[in-house]
Amino acid sequence: MDDLPLQKIQISGPTLASLLQRFSSSPGDVDGLLFGRVTHIAATTFADDDPTTTVAASSSFDSPTLIATITSFICSNSNSTFYDSAGRLNLLSLRRICSDNQTLSLLGWFSGRRKTPLRPSMRESAVTSSLSSKIQFAFQVENSPKSYTLSPCVFLLLTTPFHDQLIHTHEYRAYQFRLSTEFFEPKTLDVVNIGPAFRGHYGAFCPNSQFPMLPCELRVSSSMAEDGNCESESLKSMKRVSEDQRVLDMYAEDFDVGRLNRLIGSDAANYTGELEDMYKKMLAKLEGLARLVEKSSARVLEQENHNMKLRCRVAGLE
Amino acid sequence: MAIDTVPPLIAAQLNYLLSHSPLPIKVEQMWSGSKNHGLLDRFTLVIPFCLDYIRWDVIYNALYPLAAPDIIFGPEDESFHPYHTAGGEGDLKSPNKSLSDWNCKDPTRLLSLILELRELYMTYQRKRVGGVEDERVKFELSTIVPREGIEMYMSSGIEKTEEVKFAVPLLGVDINKMVTGCPWRHQQKIFLQVIFPVGKKYMSAPSAPRLKLVDSPELKALFSIEDFRLPPWLDGMCMAEYLPILEGLLQSQIVDAVSSIDVRRKFIVALAPLFGRPVEADPVFCRKAAFLTSSGVFTFLHFNPSGAPIKSSIITEFPWSPRWESSEMAERFFDFLVEECLNFKKYCNESLLQQR
Repeated sequence: MDDLPLQKIQISGPTLASLLQRFSSSPGDVDGLLFGRVTHIAATTFADDDPTTTVAASSSFDSPTLIATITSFICSNSNSTFYDSAGRLNLLSLRRICSDNQTLSLLGWFSGRRKTPLRPSMRESAVTSSLSSKIQFAFQVENSPKSYTLSPCVFLLLTTPFHDQLIHTHEYRAYQFRLSTEFFEPKTLDVVNIGPAFRGHYGAFCPNSQFPMLPCELRVSSSMAEDGNCESESLKSMKRVSEDQRVLDMYAEDFDVGRLNRLIGSDAANYTGELEDMYKKMLAKLEGLARLVEKSSARVLEQENHNMKLRCRVAGLE
Repeated sequence: MAIDTVPPLIAAQLNYLLSHSPLPIKVEQMWSGSKNHGLLDRFTLVIPFCLDYIRWDVIYNALYPLAAPDIIFGPEDESFHPYHTAGGEGDLKSPNKSLSDWNCKDPTRLLSLILELRELYMTYQRKRVGGVEDERVKFELSTIVPREGIEMYMSSGIEKTEEVKFAVPLLGVDINKMVTGCPWRHQQKIFLQVIFPVGKKYMSAPSAPRLKLVDSPELKALFSIEDFRLPPWLDGMCMAEYLPILEGLLQSQIVDAVSSIDVRRKFIVALAPLFGRPVEADPVFCRKAAFLTSSGVFTFLHFNPSGAPIKSSIITEFPWSPRWESSEMAERFFDFLVEECLNFKKYCNESLLQQR
C-alpha cells in the first residue's frame, strides 16, 4: 500500500445533499461508509523558466496528483455499525456491506454527530487508523501510469454548530488520514454540481448501473413443426431466452427481449419509437421500485420505533 | 418546553465520578446531542493536569444507552491517540480494554476510563517534552526524572512561543497527617510550577525560568503561600539544586504553621475563664472563636436615626505581644474590652443626646 497524499476530495452535489439529509433527519448520531474512486490527474506544469532549473516539475513526478471522488455512501441510522466501542473493526459486517458495491472502491467512512467540536474524536481516530491499515480493502488508483494502491483513508466529519444558529445548520470537514504520520490532514472538499460549468468535472463519474449485455439477434421459434433433433437445442435456447428476459425485467417493465433486435441492423427502421418505448418501460419499472421502497421504508420505520422504545426502556428513560 | 433531564445510566456514572474522584474534576457544561433536545447526554469535563486544566468532551448517545462514550480531546492534542495502533488485535494489554468491555450499568466505569486516559495523556506529554530540541530542557529533564509525581506539559500554540511546564510536587511529608483532626477530603499538596521557554539556539547565560508556588485550595486555612517568598534562582542553577533549598524553607514554615495552631488553641482556652464558654470555635485551625459576654448593665437599647441598633466598629488594634503567656494575654484582652465597652456606652449616650 502506498501512502500518497490526495490533492483534494470531490463529492457530487446530490451525494452530499443526501448525506446531510440523512444526518439531519436522524434522531441521533450516524455513521457510514463512503464509496468512489481515486483518479490520477496528469499534472500540467507550464513553466516559463528554463526547464533545467525547475525543481517543482521533478517533485510532481515523485508524488502524483491524486483526486478522490466520492460518488455514493451507505448510511446506517445508528452508531458503531462496523466497529465496537474501542474502535476495532468488525470485519465481517464490513465485508458484507462492501460486497454489494463491487464496482466502487471503499474510500473511507463518515461520522455525523450533533453539537460537537469539528475534530476527530478518540474512537474515530481508532477506526480510521484501523481501516487505513487493512490491506484487504486497498484499491487501485485509476488512470495512473504507474500502479498505485491506496487504503481507505478518507474521513468526513459532519457536525452541527453548538448554539442553534440561523446562519448555517451544518458543518463538515474532510480529512485524509496519513498512516505514516498518524495525522488527519484536512483536505478541501469540492462539490461537483450539474450544469454546463461543471461538465468537465464529470470525467471521473461513470454509470453505476450499466445496461446489461444482452444478445440482440434472437429468433424465438415457437412453431410446432420443429425437427425432433432440434428439440434439445430449442430447450436450451428457451432457457437462455427466459434468463435474458429476467435480466431485462430488472431494468424495464414488460419489455419483451425479442424486441431488442429491432434496435440494430436492418430492422432498426422504428429505432426511435422502440427506444422511447423501452425508456418508458424503464421509467415504469423505476416507479414500481420506488413504491416498493416506500412500503418497505414504512415497515423499517415501524421496526425502528419499536427498537427505540426498547432502548429507552433499557436506559431507564420511560 | 421539555425539562432537560440526564438519562439515569449516564447520571449514575457522572455522579460517581464527581463524588469519588481523587482529583477535583468538574463538569463545565452539559448539553443534548439528540434531535429532540430533551436528554442531556454530552458534557465537558475539566480535569486538573500539570497545575492547569484540560478540557475533554464526553460524548454519550442517549438513544444507545449500552454503548460506551466517546471522548473528544482538546484542539492542541491532535496527535494524542491512546488506542493501540495497527498491531495485535487481541492485545490484552491494550489500553482500551475498559472500553471494549463496557458495562453501562456499572457506575464506576466512567471514572476509571477518565483516570486511565489521563495516565496515558501524561505519558504522551512526557514523550513530547522528551522530544524537545532544547539542550537546557533536556538536561533539566534528566536530572528531574527520579522524582515521583512530576507532571509536565508542552504548550505550542500558533501565536504563543513553545514552553515546557513542569509541575513538581514538594515535600514528601503528608501535610494532612500533621494537622490533628484535619477535615480535608483530598490530599493537600504544594507544587512548584516551573516554565522553561523552548529555544532552538544556545544561550550562554540561560535566564531563570518562571517560578510559581501553587497549593491545593484548602491549604490556606493552615498556611498561606502568598506570604511565602521564593528563594532566588541563581545563575546557572538547575532544578535539582533549587528544589532542596526551597523544600527546606517550606518545611520549616509549615512546621511553624502547625505549631501556631496549638498557640491559638491555648489562647482560646485561656479566654474561657474570663469570658465564659465560647459560643463557637474552630477546633482544627483555631482561627476563629465567638464569645457572648457582657460588662456593666445596659438598660437602654440604642437605635440610630434609621432605626437599626448601633454596633461598634470592628476593633483591629488591641494590645498584643508574643512575649505574654496565654493567660496573661487573656487578662490584658479582658481589661481592654471592658474599657472599650465603657467607651462604647459613652458614644451611644452622646449620639442619643445629638438626636434630641
